[in-house]
Amino acid sequence: MSVNKDECDVVGKNLPRIDALTKVRGEAKYVSDIKVPGMLCGKILRSPLAHARVLNIDSTRAECLHGVKAVITYKDTLKKVFGVNMRTANNLLLQNEKVRYVGDQVGAVAAVDEEIALEALSLIKVDYEELPGVFNPFEAMKPGAPKIHKEENNIALSASRSFGDIERGFAQSDFIVEDEFYSPPIAHCCLEPRGCMASVDASGRLTVWSTTQTPHPLREELSDVLGIPMARIRVIQQFMGGGFGSRMGMDPIDGIACLLSLKTGKPVRIVNTRDEEFLSSRIRYPMWIWLKTGVKRNGRLHVRQVNIITDNGAYNMEGDSVMGNAIGKIAQLYAIPNVKYEGKLVYTNNVYGGPCRGYGNPQITYAIEIQMDKIAEIVNMDPAEIRLMNANDPNSTTVSGLQITSCGLKDCIREVVEISGWKGKRSKKPGQQLSIRRGIGMATMIHGGAGVKFFWGDNCNFSASTVKLNSDGTADLFTGSAELGQGSNTVLAMIAAEELGLKLEDINITNGDTLITPSCRGAWASRQTFTAGLAVKLACQDAKRQLFEFAGYLLEANPEDLVAKGRSIFVKENPSKSIPIAKATSEAYFNMGTPIIGKGVNSDPWSSKPDPKTGYGNPTSAYAFATQAAEVEVDTQTGYVKVLNMYCAHDVGKAINPLMAECQIEGGVLSMGMGYALTEKLIMENGEVKNRNFTDYRIMTMADSCNVHTILVETIDPRGPFGAKGVGEPAMIPTAAAIANAIYNAVGVWILDLPITPEKVVKAIKNKQELKVV
Amino acid sequence: MGKKSIRIQLNQEAVECTVDDNMTLLDLLRDVLDLTGTKKGCDTGECGACTVILDGKTVNACLILAVDADGSEVQTIEGTGKLNLHPLQISFVENGAIQCGFCTPGFIMSAKALLDRNPKPTDEEIKNALSGNLCRCGSYNKILTAMHKVISKE
Repeated sequence: MSVNKDECDVVGKNLPRIDALTKVRGEAKYVSDIKVPGMLCGKILRSPLAHARVLNIDSTRAECLHGVKAVITYKDTLKKVFGVNMRTANNLLLQNEKVRYVGDQVGAVAAVDEEIALEALSLIKVDYEELPGVFNPFEAMKPGAPKIHKEENNIALSASRSFGDIERGFAQSDFIVEDEFYSPPIAHCCLEPRGCMASVDASGRLTVWSTTQTPHPLREELSDVLGIPMARIRVIQQFMGGGFGSRMGMDPIDGIACLLSLKTGKPVRIVNTRDEEFLSSRIRYPMWIWLKTGVKRNGRLHVRQVNIITDNGAYNMEGDSVMGNAIGKIAQLYAIPNVKYEGKLVYTNNVYGGPCRGYGNPQITYAIEIQMDKIAEIVNMDPAEIRLMNANDPNSTTVSGLQITSCGLKDCIREVVEISGWKGKRSKKPGQQLSIRRGIGMATMIHGGAGVKFFWGDNCNFSASTVKLNSDGTADLFTGSAELGQGSNTVLAMIAAEELGLKLEDINITNGDTLITPSCRGAWASRQTFTAGLAVKLACQDAKRQLFEFAGYLLEANPEDLVAKGRSIFVKENPSKSIPIAKATSEAYFNMGTPIIGKGVNSDPWSSKPDPKTGYGNPTSAYAFATQAAEVEVDTQTGYVKVLNMYCAHDVGKAINPLMAECQIEGGVLSMGMGYALTEKLIMENGEVKNRNFTDYRIMTMADSCNVHTILVETIDPRGPFGAKGVGEPAMIPTAAAIANAIYNAVGVWILDLPITPEKVVKAIKNKQELKVV
Repeated sequence: MGKKSIRIQLNQEAVECTVDDNMTLLDLLRDVLDLTGTKKGCDTGECGACTVILDGKTVNACLILAVDADGSEVQTIEGTGKLNLHPLQISFVENGAIQCGFCTPGFIMSAKALLDRNPKPTDEEIKNALSGNLCRCGSYNKILTAMHKVISKE
């Protein structure tokens, strides 16, 4: 599908980001760059033990140290649990009875400088009674395993759903394929370490600058744990050096910085060191995935069953919904009549998980898409053909109740086949160098592209926005959304400019300041463009409706017959009859005494929380699709995998800014996608992350990058703003599976546990005796 | 802990200050001189966000003691394109080479130092020169494109 490009002046253009100049000059102020007079340095005392009872904390010596202004422990807190899901929340700002992983927070100090703060930490004496720990979910479920919380066998959640009839399904299948996959703990590695500055004023009002993806929800959480009304807390989302899910909801740092500021009456800033960032930041949930699929001789998927064991780590964050999102995908990516999924979320004394770009989907997509290639081989089909045969269609309902509206999955597959030279490259080429083999493989994905109804309440995926038209015809736009670097402010300002008939430079956007912007749930689930974008569009429509009253009066025309474009308002059927927008706004302000303020509330009316009993339902208003193909070179002697090309076709609905959509896709592939596939894994030892730096936890560099060929498939979603839907998470979801399938195409081995290290590849090649030299 | 008085030529201006002898050049720039464009991403010389140009060569400012920079010439992002933007800065803006922006000043400094000594680098030379700068948003190819545009104009 395509739209008439002439219809839009701003949307669909490759405009530079509105914050690019500030950033390229080094003038953008991140949390760690803010400095205010009298500011104190805050530091957190973290547990050196993975599992221990806290018997006593003596902070007397630390309090006496010159330069220390406050020391706090759990006694200074309200001892209230926090989390985005209050039904399961069990983490505290500062632990009181027990610590449950190495890095758990037990105390904090505020001092005049970092050196004194660190010395003060060393003077706090904590008496621990060490308890046996458990570091693997399978051990944790065994009878007699150390009990981490109140739950027996450490099972935080056990879930099971089924649609159709799997027993009959397997009986009716011609082939059955069964595999086990492993996805390791992964760190987000935002280049800017997490930080928060809190400052209390004389009347007790708190201002909080935080690296947060959810400014409005953070204020709600702070209000709850601090016992302070929301009207006395202002959260400001600063320039942010990435988020990738790690900064959804409150982090202990936020609450602790506030407590220290309240206790000292001074501004207090806490910024993680990189070491702390690796030690204590929430991670991508490690999963053990067992997947079984029944297929018909003709390649039709008939039945699928999955069982996932998820390492929840020490506390509940979002493990239930991350695992739910993962297991649900087996019923969503392809049209399958019979499915059953089961999952167990298990506490361990490891660092706890949280949202991480893809929300369980990278883990399950790795499994589904490798198995899809295995099935293709069994039924003797091309991987592209079998995917096309089983792919969902637009305007369809899946067996689990997903209502798919726009769906470009088949177009994505065809585009990737086309641009990658798939057919030629799949057939083995003679004369390849003996030790270096080339291969190509693909993977697809489905992901929510409009937020989701899981958190904070049963019907809570909203965004709100206001817009003020100024007397000179420019506009001030306010949104509660969060700009993490993904570019949402530029995209939202472009949506406003298009709707108001203005240019991008006419829009002055302010986001994520709870005092002045309307509420929004924030940046997660790839929802800013769709969900916040719709709120912005509605606000601009509201303002425009008011403006057209005055313009209609000036033009002697019916307001309903007017359109705004190119800074002018004109009569649709008679474009020569027009006035500048500035003239209409001036009329409104100075002759009618009526400043124009538009309001937009997007309550997300199309989705609903799935039925709690059956799991049936449609939690998201739009779904994004993608197909990626990887072309790799594998050194059979060393096992080293070099990615040569990535071909990526993404159904983005409509690219509001194609260059920025491409940046998201290319960036997701080159950094978090390829890293997840090839190098990244947190090494855990007795509850402690050991590789806490960028030498031992290796993320992709420019030297690792490859060519990325991006195709934007525009399906024009019927609900999204100008047809757009989310792209942030989808960018990296299929990358690892595409690379794994390409490696199989090159050397005939599948690596089912990530990351695909050279050691594993060499070992697998050695084990595969039948590997023949071409 | 001792203190020492140092003199550096910072962004073409003479700066004199007294620093603790265990203070890094990064902390001097950020905490004392308020030049926060140079970022602290790891403080251990692994991420490149604090890259500055010291006597013509890129260094991680977190690995240099301020006292060791005494008598040196230091360029930071604040001195780059102070009046007119450097062509690299314009190219980064136009070619989508910036996302969250935290790594951007470090990349600009590494790229500038490379082009100052080698105006026509090959892709391999660019990748080698910039592989010490990490970008988690993954803007590597867009940065490469931005550099190509500048190189082809020179």
